[in-house]
Amino acid sequence: MEKVRRLSDFTHKLNKTALSGKWGKGLTDLEITLDGNCPQNISEELEYAYCIKLIAENASIRILPGEKIIGSATLKQSAYHKIPVMKDGKIRFPSVSHLTLGFDFALKMGYNGLLKDIEERKLKNDLDEKGSNLLNAMKMCIEAANTWHQRHVEALQELIKNSRAVEKCNYEAVLKNIEHIPEKPPSSFYEAAQSLYFMFSFQRLCGNWSGIGRIDEMLGGFLKKDLKEGKVSLSEAREILAHFWIKGCDWLGFEGSQGGSGDAMFYQNIILGGINAEGKDITNEVTYLILDVVEELKINEFPIAVRLSSKSPEKLIRRVAEVQSLGGGILAVYNEETVIKALVKFGYPLKIARSFANDGCWEILIPGKTAFIYFPIDVFLILQKTLGVAEKTTAKKYGSFEKLYGAYKKNLSIAIDSFNRIADKDFASGKPATLISLLIKDCIRKGRGYNERGARYTVFSPHAGGLQDAGNSLHVIKSLVYDKKTVKLSGLVRALKNNWEGEEQLRQHILNSMELYGNDSKPADTMVKRVLDDFLQLTGKVKERKGVLRPPGISTFGREIEWREKRKASAHGYRQETPLAINFSPTPGSDKNSITAVIKSYCFMDLKRLPNGTALDLKLHPTSVKGKNGVAALEGVLKAFVKLKGFFMHINVIDNKTLLDAQKHPEKYRGLSVRISGWSARFVTLNKEWQQMIINRTLHK
Amino acid sequence: MKKGLVFDIQKYCTHDGPGIRTTVFLKGCNLNCAWCHNPESIKKIIEIYFTPEKCINCGNCVAVCENGAHLIKKGKHFYSRKKCTLCLKCAGVCDSKAVECVGKEMTSNEVIKKVKEDFEFYEASGGGLTLSGGEPFSQFEFTLELLKKAHAERINTCVETNGAVEKSRLAAVLPYVDLFLYDIKDTGTKRHKYFTGAACDRILENLKFVDSKGKQTILRCLMIKGVNLTAKHLANIANIYMHLKHCKGVELLPYHPYGTSKAEKLGASRKKNTRWIPSETKLQRAKQLLLKKKVEVIE
Repeated sequence: MEKVRRLSDFTHKLNKTALSGKWGKGLTDLEITLDGNCPQNISEELEYAYCIKLIAENASIRILPGEKIIGSATLKQSAYHKIPVMKDGKIRFPSVSHLTLGFDFALKMGYNGLLKDIEERKLKNDLDEKGSNLLNAMKMCIEAANTWHQRHVEALQELIKNSRAVEKCNYEAVLKNIEHIPEKPPSSFYEAAQSLYFMFSFQRLCGNWSGIGRIDEMLGGFLKKDLKEGKVSLSEAREILAHFWIKGCDWLGFEGSQGGSGDAMFYQNIILGGINAEGKDITNEVTYLILDVVEELKINEFPIAVRLSSKSPEKLIRRVAEVQSLGGGILAVYNEETVIKALVKFGYPLKIARSFANDGCWEILIPGKTAFIYFPIDVFLILQKTLGVAEKTTAKKYGSFEKLYGAYKKNLSIAIDSFNRIADKDFASGKPATLISLLIKDCIRKGRGYNERGARYTVFSPHAGGLQDAGNSLHVIKSLVYDKKTVKLSGLVRALKNNWEGEEQLRQHILNSMELYGNDSKPADTMVKRVLDDFLQLTGKVKERKGVLRPPGISTFGREIEWREKRKASAHGYRQETPLAINFSPTPGSDKNSITAVIKSYCFMDLKRLPNGTALDLKLHPTSVKGKNGVAALEGVLKAFVKLKGFFMHINVIDNKTLLDAQKHPEKYRGLSVRISGWSARFVTLNKEWQQMIINRTLHK
Repeated sequence: MKKGLVFDIQKYCTHDGPGIRTTVFLKGCNLNCAWCHNPESIKKIIEIYFTPEKCINCGNCVAVCENGAHLIKKGKHFYSRKKCTLCLKCAGVCDSKAVECVGKEMTSNEVIKKVKEDFEFYEASGGGLTLSGGEPFSQFEFTLELLKKAHAERINTCVETNGAVEKSRLAAVLPYVDLFLYDIKDTGTKRHKYFTGAACDRILENLKFVDSKGKQTILRCLMIKGVNLTAKHLANIANIYMHLKHCKGVELLPYHPYGTSKAEKLGASRKKNTRWIPSETKLQRAKQLLLKKKVEVIE
């Protein structure tokens, strides 16, 4: 496809610098300490607020010539997922991620509006000590945000004094734009975009990694009005959004402790499209302009998920397919029909369910109203223990398949009970997270913070991992041990304990003759469905307890790599060293038919019973999306995914030759990005094992 | 029900006609092109693919073979096609697929059932079933049956053909075909005969016939450097295109030598003609030439 070029040369230049990682490499390592900067013997909440105040007063301000959106999160510690303030030589408070804050309501009210809410709440005079400490701390957090804003004003005034001509004009325009926001509600599209960025970036500066949420719903109305009044043109609006996206690359290039999973795990997810609370599709010019921007600039620092449905505009589906076909894994899709059904089935009111976003990855939550964490349960390991394959277990005898299955289910039930007891206790750290609580509904009303069940919905999700591997293994065992009696269970368990050593013929037989999950083959899919249904039945026993909601999900997020050690070899033919399936995708290499067969297997599951969600991760060869028909086919995949009642899917368009070459010559592929699951990362920043995981994913043509 | 001989069914084919398609490859071909991309498709019998690298020395094939065609010596697997009677027993007992069958007998219902699995994807993309080969018309009755049944299931159909077939047979399938992927291998009469074993006159004649009946076509033109990648051949293609009323466009397919490794597994010798591979520049030039003559070139 021909390269599109709609944005200005200057914006491209700015983009190039950002994508080079210059800003991420240049983050300031500033030591901020509470010692001597904060009164003694004050409450934890107030101490937290002093941290935020100190950050606002001390963080370096960076404004680049010509940039339209400002507000850089410049501190290195924040990119380590830390609130960058010390006390007695230690980081004082933990920061928060895996959520989407209520930028939607905060933007509409401005900080002043929030302040008013706090004052009104205080006037009711019924807060306990903890509550009034929280609200006072919230006020301090807003004052801190305003300080940071004021410092930008002063920095701009200084820059204006020392610059001339075009540069000066640019600074003046930016200064004018921040005159009223984020304290007051924005009155234009440009102000709204800047206000949103200020609010978002201040959280990031303070170490909190939030998703942004439904940006097109938030900004669409402003743009519509401005376009109508002739205040802004489409191409000007596109430039503004491009600068917003370039700003999002501020941490790119930061070589911190991201572990194996690469450089872009800052969870700054964005949602596009979908219906609003009233059920009306909100897709608007902002949606399309953003797709233009990511298509042209190839920025994937805001991993985007598009909400599709059978009523999505044709144009939206086509644009999504077009952008996906270019590679980079920037866009993923939700089928919002299934998601909303799942949320309503779980108990959320319809209007609330319709506003769903994610946690900065793909887990579903209600933005601005949810405190979220999840708990991984390796169900495949539970099967391995039941069989006596796993470490420190001995082979067990089961006279029939149903006896084996019954034992597995009993062990699963024990694991879920143990999860529920954990979820009854304190939520997360239990520590103050006042800056977060400020943008989460009901914290002000309840006078309780994010980690203290102050949110409207406090969610602790049980997540099953390796569910399809358990299903695959059970399918093989049922067929070979109990139906055909090709091998005895004790023999099979011995083979697995020996990592298939000496049993290559049996292993080859399984690998080549058994159709596993991911091939649209009913026997295997039915077994996986049984394992899923039982997990859902068991987790469904406790939907809510002690103020904590427990909607189930299916995920591994790359844990299948570290889980290898305990799991040992699998009955579906995989040696211990090979990582098994990610999320709800097929075991790598076992999906031998086509991307369509994988989607059908995935959609055979009752996905509307998974309110916290699950992902299908796919890899397509670039030749299959080539040309007009390639894109049309991809469009067809998206539509069929919706029709078949899928949940969440992302497609990497890339060939293994490129990935293998990138392993050898990382210097040539600095910009190559891949979507791992809910997030994306630059391939060369992943460690070897994670790179291998991406390469091992079945490549469909 | 009479069975057909199928050697592959591939789902999610995105370049065998419009939308997402399932391509069913039928075995047997009436031509013998020097550059054949699918040598496993030529013979209308089940053959044996032999991939010694996959062998795990289990010896099952040696034990089951009555003719001594398999021999494992010092961990090396030897297979004699001379001794082999194609009883196929070895393939049935090989777990590692070092020995496997190419070709499977299937009823039309079995094929249609498989094709129907992706129905939602056809609906969503305007895709459907594509019959390819080999030459589908070398299993004419089976082809006709598949096409009829596909249409009865509301599945769009494409047939890829080399066109060297009897007109009456073409006429018989017409009502059940939505589009022909029509091969134009060459337009030089002598060259065509030399490289494929058949003249091209009937092929071009049949193409006109199909067009006269209002059937849509896409012309598939294999580009072979040193054979047909000439200005004259391209001009001929443009000329053919201009005279067709229902042709949707021309696809230029560069020759690739992947067929040779498949031929090796079949025990057939086929020369790997890397010199036939056209360069990207040459292909682009060919495309430009066609575009200049107002030919719709399909990517």
